[in-house]
Amino acid sequence: MIELADIVKTYGVGDVATHVLKGVSFCVEKGEYVAIMGASGTGKTTLMNILGLLDKPTAGRYQLEDNDVVTLDDEALSHLRNRRIGFVFQQFHLLNRANALRNVMLPLIYTDQYPEDAEDRAKQVLESVGLADRMRYNPNELSGGQQQRVAIARALINDPAIILADEPTGNLDSKSGIEILAIFKRLHKQGRTIIVITHDKNVAEHADRIIVLKDGQIAEDKPVTQPRDAETELKELACKEDLS
Amino acid sequence: MRILRLAQEGAHALLAHKLRTFFMMAGTLIGVSALTVIMTISVGTARKLKEQISKWPYDVIKVNAGGGKGYTMPQDGITTLVPADTEAVQNQIDNVVMVTSVAEKRGLSIKGNSRQTGTSVFSIQPNWHEVMDWYIDQGESVTDEDIATMARVCVLGAAIREELFGEQDPIGEMVQVGNVSLRVKGILKPRGTGPSGRASDDRILVPLSTGLRRLFNQEHLSYIRLTVRDPDRIEDTGETRLERTAEEVRKLLHERHHITPPQEDDFSIVHAAIVMQEIRPISKAATLLLIVLAGLSLVVGGIVLMNIMLVSVSERTEEIGLRRALGATRGDIFIQFLNESLAMTLLGIVVGGVLGWVASVLLAKFRNLSIGNSWELFALIVVFALLVGMFSGVQPARRAAKLQPVEALR
Repeated sequence: MIELADIVKTYGVGDVATHVLKGVSFCVEKGEYVAIMGASGTGKTTLMNILGLLDKPTAGRYQLEDNDVVTLDDEALSHLRNRRIGFVFQQFHLLNRANALRNVMLPLIYTDQYPEDAEDRAKQVLESVGLADRMRYNPNELSGGQQQRVAIARALINDPAIILADEPTGNLDSKSGIEILAIFKRLHKQGRTIIVITHDKNVAEHADRIIVLKDGQIAEDKPVTQPRDAETELKELACKEDLS
Repeated sequence: MRILRLAQEGAHALLAHKLRTFFMMAGTLIGVSALTVIMTISVGTARKLKEQISKWPYDVIKVNAGGGKGYTMPQDGITTLVPADTEAVQNQIDNVVMVTSVAEKRGLSIKGNSRQTGTSVFSIQPNWHEVMDWYIDQGESVTDEDIATMARVCVLGAAIREELFGEQDPIGEMVQVGNVSLRVKGILKPRGTGPSGRASDDRILVPLSTGLRRLFNQEHLSYIRLTVRDPDRIEDTGETRLERTAEEVRKLLHERHHITPPQEDDFSIVHAAIVMQEIRPISKAATLLLIVLAGLSLVVGGIVLMNIMLVSVSERTEEIGLRRALGATRGDIFIQFLNESLAMTLLGIVVGGVLGWVASVLLAKFRNLSIGNSWELFALIVVFALLVGMFSGVQPARRAAKLQPVEALR
């Protein structure tokens, strides 16, 4: 489904050139839950931007489903981002002056066929992330965890092939973080492909597979033998709170 | 429609920042309303002028006391134009049908029927009616005998008659101008407004001799008025006969008043050709200046709009990046931002147009200005404002569209 081959990303030219990615290759199959790990400066954000079609590699091949991405123009890339990729950002990136419902419907504006049932669909995905009673709230009236759930609902509205999350729990307290990971786990069980970029081992271990980046290259690519289960951890957390 | 949804996004952004939105609109609003006011007033004034000019009879030459160029008025205190000049014109100039002398004074108080008002007093000769093509409605007018005897009689304009006597019959009644009592012997037909814009019916007529000796105590005239036979006939010199005759009158008066150019004339000649030539360029120049000023305000408004939009684009970098990530193409972003500028321009045009029209109506009411409307000119204003708005909107929209999603989301 995703196939990266010798992806190179270089900023600048000649002596001042910075090689951020030095030949990265891996495949992600449909339905996989992959974590891409690495300390800051290892090129994981650049990799995420390339995976998300927000940036183009300097060299290499990127196959996303049937598309040879490197050859596509801006319009085709925009279309792919809109239909096939759901973004979840560390800073949520919600429109502050629009309520949850309108934020979730935002990607639909840029689809070629605006669905008749746009609002119903938005309500459905908001319900699925547990925000049925918060649809008319503006982001500043929501907690961080709730905001991130709005962002996930927005990522899901166009039924994308991949959920691409960049440090999705980075701005959240541990409980809200686990709640978000629980949603990811559920989406994964429903058969969605999920790629989470993180520096946090505790987040990465929820995935089935961890790719570790080091100095712009893949240092490690291994399956997780016993992925952590967010649902269970959430229950444990609830018990602890009850005890104390 | 995708474009409608994009427009809706723009509308949301505008509603969310009301003060900024207002400033975006302000320049266009002020410019368009100023241009609308200028348009209505210049159209109105031009129309009024045209109406007045059309009232000026084509065969008439008027010689006013006092110098000046163009459409002059007789000046008080110039004593050199005298009845003998009228006789000289009558006897020495060809193609003159009639000549008449007039001495007028404005703002004199008149009493009658135990009421009092102010009016203009015209001292005239009997042929005044023919020269002016303006006749008696009731009673009779000034006669040669009245002039010979300096008779204490007068003819009332319709407005004065109405003011002093109302529905009563004024013929034979006495009125008093200064300390001279005059017997009313006739009423003039009502005429409305004259070429100079003054109310024509607010006047009384007295015999020339009575006016000069008894009322004004002077020897000189305010103006001489003459009619020319076949005024538009082309003379050997290439001029019309009207212009030719005016020149002859000028030469005669130079001789009689001992004036040698470049010494300035102590009289001025007005006829239809001069009225048409002289008034228009003046009002045109003034209108042009106003148009340039208002146009500049529109351009300045456009610059303000552009700057606000540029600031808005850099403030909303993150939003633009997000929209790009969610699937907006460069074109979508461009359209959304251009929409915002154009919507503000359109709103500015509508509100400015209405405001300008209201201001025009108020000016017309309280400042006694004539207003008119020309859809062609208004369309020109709208097109100009739209062009300015378009130019102001394109640059910021292009900048927004050019942002790289990666950089915008940072």
